[in-house]
Amino acid sequence: MIEFLKKHYEIVEKAPRLYKLQIESDKLVEILSSVSINSNFITLSQIACTDWIEDEVFALNYILTTKERDKNLMVEVRISRVHCSLPTLLNLYPQAQVMERDLHEMYGINFRGNDTLYDFALENWNEIPPLRREFDTLAYVNEHFDFRIGREDNKDVKAEVKRRKAQAKESKDGK
Amino acid sequence: MPENTQEGFIDQQKVLDNEEYSIKNTQSIIQKAVDWFRARSMFVLAYGTGCGAIEMPPIFTSRYDIERLGVVGVATPRQADILIVSGYCSYKTLKRVIRSYEQMNEPKYVIGLGSCTINGGMYWDSYNTIKKLDEYLPVDMYINGCMPRPEALIEGFVKLQDNIRNAKSEAGYIQYRENNAFYRANQEKIFGKNTTPTFEENFAGMNQ
Amino acid sequence: MFLDSLAMIALAYIFGFLYYGLYRNISARVHGRFGPSLAQSFFDSIKLFLKENSTNFGWMFYAGPIIMMIGAITTLLFIPYLNGSEHLVGLSQYGNLILVLYLMVLEPLGNAMGIGSNGNPFGVMGITRGLTRLIGLELPFYIAAIGLMIANHSADIGVIMTNQSEGYNAFTHPLLFIGAFISFLGFMGKSPFDVVGAPQEVYSGPATEFSGKFFAIALSQSAIFSFAKLLLMVNLFLGGAQSLVELVAKTFVLFLVAVLVGNVYARFTTAQSVEFLVRVPTGIALVGLLFV
Repeated sequence: MIEFLKKHYEIVEKAPRLYKLQIESDKLVEILSSVSINSNFITLSQIACTDWIEDEVFALNYILTTKERDKNLMVEVRISRVHCSLPTLLNLYPQAQVMERDLHEMYGINFRGNDTLYDFALENWNEIPPLRREFDTLAYVNEHFDFRIGREDNKDVKAEVKRRKAQAKESKDGK
Repeated sequence: MPENTQEGFIDQQKVLDNEEYSIKNTQSIIQKAVDWFRARSMFVLAYGTGCGAIEMPPIFTSRYDIERLGVVGVATPRQADILIVSGYCSYKTLKRVIRSYEQMNEPKYVIGLGSCTINGGMYWDSYNTIKKLDEYLPVDMYINGCMPRPEALIEGFVKLQDNIRNAKSEAGYIQYRENNAFYRANQEKIFGKNTTPTFEENFAGMNQ
Repeated sequence: MFLDSLAMIALAYIFGFLYYGLYRNISARVHGRFGPSLAQSFFDSIKLFLKENSTNFGWMFYAGPIIMMIGAITTLLFIPYLNGSEHLVGLSQYGNLILVLYLMVLEPLGNAMGIGSNGNPFGVMGITRGLTRLIGLELPFYIAAIGLMIANHSADIGVIMTNQSEGYNAFTHPLLFIGAFISFLGFMGKSPFDVVGAPQEVYSGPATEFSGKFFAIALSQSAIFSFAKLLLMVNLFLGGAQSLVELVAKTFVLFLVAVLVGNVYARFTTAQSVEFLVRVPTGIALVGLLFV
C-alpha cells in the first residue's frame, strides 16, 4: 500500500518501516482522510509536537500505524507558534480527542472543532503552557516552592560515578 | 513541639530521638491501652500517586506478609487509619489526596513513601509537582528511597506502630486540627479558590 | 434467664471473633503466609469502637447496623446451645425453627435499610447482590428445614436435636444435609458465594459508608451471626452437643470445611451463584425431601 501513497505524495523513507510525509496545515484533514481510505495506515497512534523556537514554528507529527502494526507513517505539519491553530481530527480518529486536549494544555495549540479543550492534567494553571520553550521551569519552581534544607549540598554525581566505574574496571583488569 | 518551618522536619526527628520530649509519662493507663490497640490494628488506604504504588502490593503477599503486624488494606477512606501517599504528588493528585485524608476518621496517620514526598526527589524542578508533602498534610512517617523496597515500608510501619504505642510525638491529625490555618494557607497557595471546602462551608451546605 | 442470654451473647461474640481470627490465620497458611495473631479480630473491633464517627446520613443510616445486630442476637437467642441442658438455652423454649428462619432474614433487611439511606452506589450495588443471592440461599435451606420438620413431626429445634440420639441427621438424611450445607457455605459469606462484599468489584460493598463505631457494630454482628449459623447447623444435622467442648469441636469442623472451600474456589458472579444455588443444592434437597 505504501507504493500507492508514494505515487501521489512525496514520501521519504526515514528508516526501515518508517516513512515521513510533510504537508501544509490547510491540507491536513484532506490528506489524512485520503491516506486512511486508500492505504492500511488506519490507526493514529500519537501526535508528537516539537517546539522549534528558533524557526518560530511548532512541528506536529501525526504518527499513523498500519493495521498489522508493522509500518509507521509520520505526517508532519508545521504551524506558526503565534497563531497556532489546526482543524481537529475527531471525525477521522476518535482517539485524537485526548491527544489534542493534551497538546492544547501543554503547548496552547487550538484545535478547531474539538470542544473538550479544558483542564486535563494541569488544574487551575494560570501561566503560559508549560512545554513551550519560553516557559522557564526552574524560575517557576524557585518562585513557587521552597526546598527542604539539605538539598543545596546536592552535588553532581556524574563525575564521581565515572571515576568509580573506571576504578572498578581497573581493579577487575588488574586481577 | 517543633514548628512547621523550613527546619520542622529535622527538629521533629530530634524530638523523636530524645526521650525527654516523650509525652508517654504524662498519659493515663487507659490512654496507653487505647494507643496499644491503635498500634496493633491498622487499616491502610493506599493512594497510588506515583511509581511507589508498585512497591505496595508486595507487602501484602506471602513473601512479606504485612498482615502479621495487623495491617490490612481497606477500600474506603471511611474505615482507614493510615493513608500511604506513594510517590510524587502533582497538583491534581494532591487535591484528591487531601480530599481522601479529610474523609478519614480520626485517629488517622499519613505515611509518605519515597523521596518525592520528602523533597521532590527526581521531580525537584518539575513545574507541577509539590516538593514537601508536610506543608499540605501532616506526615507521621517518611520513608526515603527511590523507590524504597518493601522491607523499608515494613520498617516504616513498625516504627510508626512504635511511635503510636509509646506516644513519642503528637499525632499528625492533632496537628492538622490545631494548625489547620497553616495547612489551608499552603493548600490555597497552589489551588487558589478551588481547594476543599472548610468545615464551616460543609456545615453551611448541609443546612440549606 | 437474663444472665443465661447474656452468657450466650458473650460466648457467641468471643467464638465468632476467634473463628474469624482462625479464618484469617488458616487462609494465610493456605497462601503460605504466617498470618495475623488469633486475637487480631478483637483488636480490630476494639480499635474501631475507639474511632470517631464523622459522617451523617440521618437516623435511618445509624438504625441499619443496630437492626442487623438485633437480628443476629435474636436469632442466636432462639437456638439452644447444648443438648438437654438447662443452661445456655435463652428463649429457645418459646420459639421454633420457623421463627429462627424468619429472623435470619432480618440481617440483610437491616443492612438494606442502612445502605439505602446513604446513597453510596457501591453499597447499593452490594446490597442488591446480597438480596438477589438470598433467594438462592433460602430455597435449599428452607427445603432441608421442612424435610427435618416432617421427619421429626416437630418444628422445635430441641426436639430435632434430641431425636438424633441414634444417628445424626447428616447421615440419616444425607441429601438434605448436602443441600443445606451448600446453602450454609453461602450464608457464611465466603467464596464462592461472596458476591456481596466482593472487593475487586464493589469495594467494601454494603460496608463502604460505615465507619468507626458503626462499622465495629457491623463486624461484631457478623461474628455473632456466623456463630449462630454454625450453631444451627450443628443442632439440626450433627446432633447438637452435650458439652461446650463438644460444641466447639463440632462447630470448628463445620467452620474449617467452610474456610477451606472458600480458599479453594473462585468467586461466582451474582447470576452464576443464584443459578448454581437454585439448580444444584435445591435439586439435591428436593430429592432428599422425597426420601423423607
